[in-house]
Amino acid sequence: MIYSSTMGRDSRSRKSLGSLHTHIKESRVLMVGAGGIGCELLKNLVLTGFGEIHLVDLDTIDLSNLNRQFLFGVQHLKKPKAVVAKEAAGKFNHSVKLEAYHANIKDSQFTVKWFKGFDLVFNALDNLDARKHVNRMCLTADIPLIESGTTGYHGQVQIIKQGATECYDCNPKPVPRSFPVCTIRSTPSQPIHCIVWAKSYLFAEVFGTSEESSPELDRSENPENEIANLKCEAEELKNIREKMDTPDYAEYIFEKVFNRDIVRLLSIEDIWKSRPQPMPLKYSKIAQEAKDLGPEIAQEGHRKWSLAQNFVVFADSVERLASRMLRLKSVAMEGHETPIMEFDKDDEDMLDFVAAAANLRSCVFGIELKSKFDIKQMAGNIIPAIATTNAITAGLCVLQAFKVLRNNLKQGRMIFLAKNADRAISAEKLASPNSKCQECGVARASVDAHVSKATLRDFVERVIRQGLGYGEDISVLSSKLLYDVDFDDDLDKPLKELGFGDETLITIRDEEGDEVGHRINLVIVVTNNEDLKGDMITVPGRLEIPRKSKSEIEESNSCRDMHQIEVGINNAATAKKRKLGEEFTIIEDRPNKKRAVGREDEQDFVIFGDDGTITID
Amino acid sequence: MATSNQQVEQVPMPNTDDLASATATAMATSQTISADEVALYDRQIRLWGMEAQARMRNANILIINMRALANEIAKNLVLAGIGSLTVLDPDFVEEDDLGAQFFISEEHVGINRAKAAVPAIQRLNPRVSVHADTERIQDKPVEFFKNFDIVIATDIDLDSMLLINDATRKWNISFYAGATYGFYGFIFADLISHSFVIKRIRSNIKTQIGRETRTRSVISTTEKKEGDTIWEFVTKQEIYCPLSEAIRSEVDNKWRPKKRKMVPSVLPGIKALWKFQQKLGRLPQSTREDFAEFTKIMTEVDKELALPEELVKAEFIRQFVENAAAELSPVAAVLGGLLAQDAINTLGKMEQPIQNLLVFDGDISVAPIVVLALQPED
Repeated sequence: MIYSSTMGRDSRSRKSLGSLHTHIKESRVLMVGAGGIGCELLKNLVLTGFGEIHLVDLDTIDLSNLNRQFLFGVQHLKKPKAVVAKEAAGKFNHSVKLEAYHANIKDSQFTVKWFKGFDLVFNALDNLDARKHVNRMCLTADIPLIESGTTGYHGQVQIIKQGATECYDCNPKPVPRSFPVCTIRSTPSQPIHCIVWAKSYLFAEVFGTSEESSPELDRSENPENEIANLKCEAEELKNIREKMDTPDYAEYIFEKVFNRDIVRLLSIEDIWKSRPQPMPLKYSKIAQEAKDLGPEIAQEGHRKWSLAQNFVVFADSVERLASRMLRLKSVAMEGHETPIMEFDKDDEDMLDFVAAAANLRSCVFGIELKSKFDIKQMAGNIIPAIATTNAITAGLCVLQAFKVLRNNLKQGRMIFLAKNADRAISAEKLASPNSKCQECGVARASVDAHVSKATLRDFVERVIRQGLGYGEDISVLSSKLLYDVDFDDDLDKPLKELGFGDETLITIRDEEGDEVGHRINLVIVVTNNEDLKGDMITVPGRLEIPRKSKSEIEESNSCRDMHQIEVGINNAATAKKRKLGEEFTIIEDRPNKKRAVGREDEQDFVIFGDDGTITID
Repeated sequence: MATSNQQVEQVPMPNTDDLASATATAMATSQTISADEVALYDRQIRLWGMEAQARMRNANILIINMRALANEIAKNLVLAGIGSLTVLDPDFVEEDDLGAQFFISEEHVGINRAKAAVPAIQRLNPRVSVHADTERIQDKPVEFFKNFDIVIATDIDLDSMLLINDATRKWNISFYAGATYGFYGFIFADLISHSFVIKRIRSNIKTQIGRETRTRSVISTTEKKEGDTIWEFVTKQEIYCPLSEAIRSEVDNKWRPKKRKMVPSVLPGIKALWKFQQKLGRLPQSTREDFAEFTKIMTEVDKELALPEELVKAEFIRQFVENAAAELSPVAAVLGGLLAQDAINTLGKMEQPIQNLLVFDGDISVAPIVVLALQPED
């Protein structure tokens, strides 16, 4: 050994980093997500010596995480990831300060001000929604963000810095894969169609939503008789729910969806002119074939089951789920809503039901059957994941972070893992921001307000018109429209009543006259301040807000459709679950949560790969 | 866990049944993966399949030296579920080791590095057999290597790498070497003769059987229809040369001058580092004498590789030498991930392996892979 070993744990990294090492020791960073990428990244950050690291993750530890999330062991199952990660990684370097939050990064406690307290933010997430949120917060707080993602062998890293680089939303993310309603409900041709049917229609209708389930198709392109047919089918299913406590429940469902509905479908001859006809299944006949089979076949998840085996699993899983449902109902409080079940891919009863039902439907339509293992992946949007890809990607994140800390963005890169014989990674220069981007192509201002006392009128008149010089024609939005020229009902309400909290992001849209010459959107951070006297609201100084040019408007119009979809998706959490048969989007999210949202312009079932850069295949 | 000699594997014929039946077969024949393991390895089985996973669990791997890079490789291999891992290191933990290694901590200073790391490695996955060996690899008889499926030599000098590679060649074992030098590093692979399968969507252009590059050939292809998709399984073979030949080789003589100019300096830099260490018995330090000597060696090496002069840059050399004895956790993570994944792929006989030298420059974010093998004279 050449060097004196009394130089200490920092000696070898100092040789590489020089003065950057001190800068790193004084840095305060945030890591969002403590899963696959997070465990690896936290390890790197702690070893490299980042002075203070905060980590946020809402998830708990699952067995299937342990093949790669190496900070966790079997003794940690069901514990919060952030907490366990902190404990495990803390041991790698005692001079680093760690702070863990078992929480959702979208929680109101994580304000723009809180984000501003960091030198750098790292995303280690697995879903589009959280990424967009952090992107927005970092842009607003003007804190650099290192964004990353992995799927299987693929990995990607990029630096996002307000004003200097593209943000996460500068490029529309791939449109989620969608299927027309009729494909799911009438004319499936692939296993995935049957799986979506089993999960999002049959399971939902039988054990899930307790709402009136007859669909209304407004702008339908389906032939008249098809719509009527779908309506009729759903009505019948609702009636069958009443029979949940009878021993023949499975038979009722089976006979309806695999026999009568198919017979009825066959009668709409047009559909079958150029397609192979489906074959109805008869319960009693198959029950006879399957009479010697036991339900334990359900445990053989990697094997494709025969028709008779699927039948047995179907009947058995219906029984299991019905008992659970009845139990739920009996303990439900009087006058409260009937309990419903939400599909959870890790719930064996639910998975058995969906797998068997999907396969039975496949039998009807002459489609190849799938094993439970494969169905679980498709129904549950499981993304294959390994330790190495996460390790490589996380390492690259820290190397890019060095560029940011050295204030050397020109040397920063967007990096992709390559599956290539002549290189292991591909790197591109960071792109400039997209001036038409709705997230980062905005002007920004800050305002304090006593939200219980200041009114919307105070905000509109004093801040926006008098203070910032806007005209009459504007729109004011939070997550919903608060005010525009046609909607002034709420002007005299105090801001708090309109949903303003400790910190609220408001967008001001300039609608005056011709679009050419409109100011670009303005995002205002409104911070609650109860010490304000007098006016109850501060007025920012006059701000020179850039205006749109003609060419920008033309180009942005073509992007608008995509943006509306994105907006629709962003509003997912607040939208009510809509009825099947309508145009709607199913968004799958981790860990097993599911929301449905309306999407006006498509009559589709949409399956959303929950990592925004990956779509389901 | 099986630690017996692995017999020569047959190239896996892609199944004409689907994955489900293949896994059923794999389960039946390969001393089955237990239900527990299937649950644990679920997310990776969904990527590389049950067969590959089953192959892995019989693998016996040796890692030589246990510094930052080896920490990462060991973590990745053990998490993946190999059969057995032997960690060999004659040295003792120093405080300096703590900056980029996570299997050890302050309490291990003064303890043998292999012994110190093993408990933490083992905790990552109780199903893997983890052993420590405290001897010097140079003192081991050639028979020592016989029982391993893969030997990975890390952070070790050129002469030792050559010695180890001789032994692996003798027993027909896959060999990897790797090291990190601050922001820089390399991975070298000698898989002797390796067949593997890649899966892709069949294109309209028919895949040609026969030679693809000077080291790689397409052996056969089969197809499988899954719904509307037609998958193609292409069996290829890569022929490797040992390190002793690689260090006598130039870059591909078909490369035009323009391409040669684009080669990152880290390529001649790494080879020069090996040579410097071989000649002076140590790594270079940031002294005027060492910069001069290193520049001289790098210039020679640059010529040997048939690369242009401009790759030998003073500013690169300064930074490179400063990094020679450095260790950076993120760089170890990148190279450790790449090397371990290649080893896993080798065991599973899937995916294109590294052929044959990968060099990494973590400062400018490049990781080119070049073939260094003797070529027929023009």
